[in-house]
Amino acid sequence: MSDDEILDTHLQELRRGTVVLACLRLLARPGYGYGLLEELAARGFATDANTLYPLLRRLEKQGHLTSEWNTDEARPRKFYRTSATGHTLARSLTAEFRSIADAIAALPEED
Amino acid sequence: MPETPTLTDRYVDAAMRTVPESQRVDLAAELRGSIADQVEAREDAGERKDAAERAVLTELGDPDKLAAGYTGRQLHLIGPRYYLDWWRLLKLLLWIVLPCTAFGVALGQTLSGAAVGGIIGSAVAAMLTAAVHVGFWTTLVFVILERTGHETMDAGPWTPDRLPEPRQQGAGFGEMLTSIVWLLILAGLVVWDLTLGFVPGRRLSFLNPALWPVGAVLLFALMAVAAVLAVLVYVRRRWTYGLAVANAVLSLAVVAVLLVFGPVIDPAFFAALIDGPDAVKVQQIVTIVLWFGIAAVAVWTVLDGFLKARRAAR
Repeated sequence: MSDDEILDTHLQELRRGTVVLACLRLLARPGYGYGLLEELAARGFATDANTLYPLLRRLEKQGHLTSEWNTDEARPRKFYRTSATGHTLARSLTAEFRSIADAIAALPEED
Repeated sequence: MPETPTLTDRYVDAAMRTVPESQRVDLAAELRGSIADQVEAREDAGERKDAAERAVLTELGDPDKLAAGYTGRQLHLIGPRYYLDWWRLLKLLLWIVLPCTAFGVALGQTLSGAAVGGIIGSAVAAMLTAAVHVGFWTTLVFVILERTGHETMDAGPWTPDRLPEPRQQGAGFGEMLTSIVWLLILAGLVVWDLTLGFVPGRRLSFLNPALWPVGAVLLFALMAVAAVLAVLVYVRRRWTYGLAVANAVLSLAVVAVLLVFGPVIDPAFFAALIDGPDAVKVQQIVTIVLWFGIAAVAVWTVLDGFLKARRAAR
């Protein structure tokens, strides 16, 4: 494995959980797959389509998201929205993320 | 003429193959919409339609893998939950089954009068077959466990109580005593057999009287050396490679003495007990079984010494 690949693996592991948190927070306003993908990228949560779509399904199955088909437009789209339990999860994850950020800030500085 | 399916059609079809019927319509519609959205975005950025479609599908990757993400299907045969249990059980079974298979097949072949090449060939073939079977069936059971989510035989969290017992070094006082007592019993049996015999009322020895006196004396001398070896192991408190080599030489010497002094069993023994030609047949079978037993004990003794030496050397 080259140094770049090793760095990529570490970064990926560090980011993994943050995409879930970002989805739960963004989907307070209903959104569909591709739109969410764009918004995540614009907000600095670069995610692959083949990671995001299964993730949405999984969160829906766990009851953290609800979904609804919107057929008003030419292309029918499945809209996801964060449920009540999803909001609770988002709050817990946010609190945890803050405490991790604080803990990292409190680490000894690099010389 | 029906329309030729587009790449997207083929991709969605391929992805839906492994998705349960109930979710298929919903998932297919969503996937198709998502692909169309992405293609459109690329077209707006100035790409040609077919190039854009190809790029989007390439990015999505293997449809079966994508579907596995949707349905939570496992993409491994045996995962970390069962891997160690599987590996331990497989090793244990192979250690038990393969030697037993080789021994059993070789014994059977010898009894039915096969040539040496045939015996070795059958034993090796049987071991390969047994290894494949053990590997396949053990793995199959764990693959099913992995997919049905049952716990393995010893469920529950690991605790330090589950650490393997410290291995016996085979160099205690008990081991020495056992070895010497066994040697004495064996020597006693040989003397008893050659002088009094085990058949009540008959002056008949099981071992070939030709062993007496040179062969028997050699055997007793080897037994005495074995007793000294047992004491040495106890004094040193451990097996060493030197002791293991001495132990191996000793075992082979016993086998050599038995080989040199002709048939181990007195040819007159069965002839005196059984009437007619059956005696010869019985004699043959008992001889073969006896030699297999001698070979098994010798191999085990040699291996045991080296295993204990290796363990002690760590």
